[in-house]
Amino acid sequence: MKWFPSFGFQRRKRELQEEIDAHLQMAIADRVARGETAEAARQAAAREFGNIPLVQDVTRDMWGQAWLEQLGRDVRYALRQLRKSPGFSITATAMLAVAICANSTVFSWIDGTMLRPIPGARDTGDLVSLQRGERNFSPTPPFSYLDYRDLREQNHTFAGILAYHHDWITLTGGAQPERVFIANVTANYFDVLGIKPVLGRFFLAEEETRPDAVPNVILSYSLWKARYAADPAIVGKSIEIARHPVTVIGVAPEGFVGAMPGLRDDLWVTLDPLGTDVWRITHRSGGAVWLNVIGRLRPGVSRGQAAQDLDTLMHHIVAAYPNDHLGENRITLDPMWRSPFGANGFMAATLPILLAFAAVVLLLTSANVATLTLVRFVSRRRELAIRQSLGANRIQLVRQMVLEGVVLSIVAGAVALALTTWTSKTFAWFFRASSSPTTLNGSMDHNVVIGIAVFSLLAGMLCGALPAWRSSHAPAVEVLKAESASISGGSRNRKLLSGLVVAQIALSLPLLLCSGLLLRTLRNLAGANPGFEQDHILTATVGLNIAGYSHDEEQVIRHKILDRVSALPGVKVASLTDWIPMTLSHKGEDAYPEGYVPHPHESLQVSHAEVGPRYFESLHIPILEGREFTPDDDEKAPRVLIVDQTAARRYWPGQDPLGKKLRVWGIPFTVVGVVRNSTHTFVNESPEPMVYMSFFQQGYETMVQVETEGNPVDLAPAVENAIHTIDTRLPIFDVRPMRESTQLASSFAVIQSTLAGMFALIGLVLAVTGIYGVVAYRTQMRTHEIGVRMALGASRVDVLRLVLLQGLWLTGIGLALGLAFALGLTRIIVRLLYGIGANDPVTVASVVMLLGTMSLLACYFPAHRAMRRNPVTAIREL
Amino acid sequence: MSEEDQYKNRIELLQGTLDMLILQTLQWGPQHGYGIVQALRLRSGDVLQVETGSLYPALHRLERQSWVQSEWKQSESKQRARYYRITAKGKKQLASDLGRWERIVEAIGSVMYVKPEESES
Repeated sequence: MKWFPSFGFQRRKRELQEEIDAHLQMAIADRVARGETAEAARQAAAREFGNIPLVQDVTRDMWGQAWLEQLGRDVRYALRQLRKSPGFSITATAMLAVAICANSTVFSWIDGTMLRPIPGARDTGDLVSLQRGERNFSPTPPFSYLDYRDLREQNHTFAGILAYHHDWITLTGGAQPERVFIANVTANYFDVLGIKPVLGRFFLAEEETRPDAVPNVILSYSLWKARYAADPAIVGKSIEIARHPVTVIGVAPEGFVGAMPGLRDDLWVTLDPLGTDVWRITHRSGGAVWLNVIGRLRPGVSRGQAAQDLDTLMHHIVAAYPNDHLGENRITLDPMWRSPFGANGFMAATLPILLAFAAVVLLLTSANVATLTLVRFVSRRRELAIRQSLGANRIQLVRQMVLEGVVLSIVAGAVALALTTWTSKTFAWFFRASSSPTTLNGSMDHNVVIGIAVFSLLAGMLCGALPAWRSSHAPAVEVLKAESASISGGSRNRKLLSGLVVAQIALSLPLLLCSGLLLRTLRNLAGANPGFEQDHILTATVGLNIAGYSHDEEQVIRHKILDRVSALPGVKVASLTDWIPMTLSHKGEDAYPEGYVPHPHESLQVSHAEVGPRYFESLHIPILEGREFTPDDDEKAPRVLIVDQTAARRYWPGQDPLGKKLRVWGIPFTVVGVVRNSTHTFVNESPEPMVYMSFFQQGYETMVQVETEGNPVDLAPAVENAIHTIDTRLPIFDVRPMRESTQLASSFAVIQSTLAGMFALIGLVLAVTGIYGVVAYRTQMRTHEIGVRMALGASRVDVLRLVLLQGLWLTGIGLALGLAFALGLTRIIVRLLYGIGANDPVTVASVVMLLGTMSLLACYFPAHRAMRRNPVTAIREL
Repeated sequence: MSEEDQYKNRIELLQGTLDMLILQTLQWGPQHGYGIVQALRLRSGDVLQVETGSLYPALHRLERQSWVQSEWKQSESKQRARYYRITAKGKKQLASDLGRWERIVEAIGSVMYVKPEESES
């Protein structure tokens, strides 16, 4: 394929001319040699040769490039036709642009998240995330280092397996301490992902578990740029993390932000940089299960084969260390686009459905534009008939008309492209600031451009081909003979027009129904009682554990925080916790209840949170039995536990849970209380056992939780000041009302209902304008007939009924078909709904009523106009 | 007048045989378009007269299929002309065309020259 075929074309044209000239010259020379005069020879040769332009033409056909010239002619003609009716061209382009943009926007979000799960990594299609045990949303890291290493060293199906664990830490040593996300990674981490450093080097195999006096650290590109001013000599320099000196050995390339989709790492260190993780890397259960694992499949190995390979290995591990692997241990592998670790699990559940909605919008728009095109073609029938009788064959006519549709959709695609560069970035709006370093956004790359091209071509074909094929069927002679009155089209066109209107109504109904259901779901979620108080609660994170305080210092500061904040005016109750419900964060641990025999393969994982005294009081969670934690439940006292109803019923059915023992991390905990169930992650979750531990015994992160008298936001500065009176260097983050934090749990419902709502609105407008357009057009075509009817005595009401009935029929059929389609389609969103059935009769009825009424109104206006006409002028108008 | 008579005497080339004839002509050496016309006329005793409107499309088609190659050369009479040369692929094609042609001739022959007693039996 040449880049500029026309240049080659011109050259070949010249050569052909030369070739023919040579032929003639030789023929003349031969004749002259035989004794003819020069003039006679020239004439005879030319006669013998025949029609030179024709020979050139048929020869050129052999080059396979004639279509290019033809195409150029057709495009010019299409542009001229579209310029002739700017109203149609602009309307159709605008509608198509919006519909294509709807698709490309959702696609850009999919592209930026699911299709690019690890920006910068090589061949992410070969990467899989490993999960051990039961599958759930936002699972905890599933592997211990020893298990991971056995899998890494003994498998036969992976080119490499990496592991990491990440958490917050504070960068000290600068003017301002800064909270950053740091990951402990295996030495092969960057290698398996296929990442090369822009400066320095990455980790060596022998460094993986080696503690160093001055540990090595790798900076992310953005941190290097923002905090270290892109210092080109940063490698080898010393910086400070949580008051420990560390040496920068490398900088990661721009764009790479870590291995967990949707989260941003700022720094990378090895697994045990300070020698404080020795316990964690030499055990196989409890707190030593802390690693997320990603593997790169060997070329040609399927996910199924790899899962089987690892499963066998895991089986051996479980057999060798049964006490460390109670419960479910099966290994499942997920491709990164739907990996449950990180954001893609949620994305995979939401975005494809939104893309399906957008596709319906595109179909609907194509049907609408096809209606307009058809109406336009009907009025262009004479032109088409003339072209046909002048020798254009049907294929040429259809090609011409399809081309007009394609030109429209190419322009629309270009507009959509411009719009999408902006809309792709709106995805981040849906994710409020939260306690996770979320980086989610759409991306605008070649995939999206290709996507837009595909969407536009599809739309262009749909809205050009159908009417074109229909119109070209009309026999030319009949059309030319026919009177203008019959221009309204034969019954064929009427049927096609009706079909298109019915299709538009039928397509918009499911959009409306889905958006209705999703909007009501959102309302139900917002109105649902999560089982705890959200409205007068303020939470703030104090970065104690990440700022380099010793453990004893931490405990003292925690007690001081509790005292100072409790004393603030406007504070009803203050407590401490290390977990905020409904923020997509989740801590799980295997727990072994005393006297409980688990079913085979039953997961013994429980969710846990460490909460301080008066925690349940501040959240208004009732204590059903026993007591709350007190400040005396500290490290010197025996370990205690409060369980929720689900845990109590599961482990000690029909018994009194108080005084029972539960073993976690090998430590026995005594149950001292039972609290009512409350929501952990999602309002529509199925209840999982939850255990609360005493903050002063097991707390890790420090979050202050305050019940306020007034608006919690007003109290934020006072709380921060009170904490800073203890130590001004204490880092405080994420100070926000509980209501704001818990909105994270419904952010996907917000995305779904917002987009579905917008798409449904577009659908409604299109369907209503579609039916209006067709009824108005048909009524106008029947002006003459209506005039005759009225002159013969038909009343205005008769006319009104005539027109209205026609519209009603179409609406009725459209609604019936749409309902069947909608009830099928709602099945795919069942999992997204809360507090409402997929076929909720109220929603169905109101949506049908809405669409029906709007269509009826759309028919009424043309009917009313027809009724008002003076029959005499109506008859005269042809 | 005589030209028109001549025209009537010409045999309409069977579909597909033109390619074979051109390739056969080129077997004897590279030739330009005019030369091919002359060669075919001479060899067929003035019966086969190839139309230029068929010849040039055919040559360009054969070139596209890589059965012939072309280059610009001076003829003996110092006329610059485009010479066509048969390729190895073209020779293979010619062999298969010829085989098919012989089968057709044979098949048509066996239909046309059936002896009466054989057909009745």
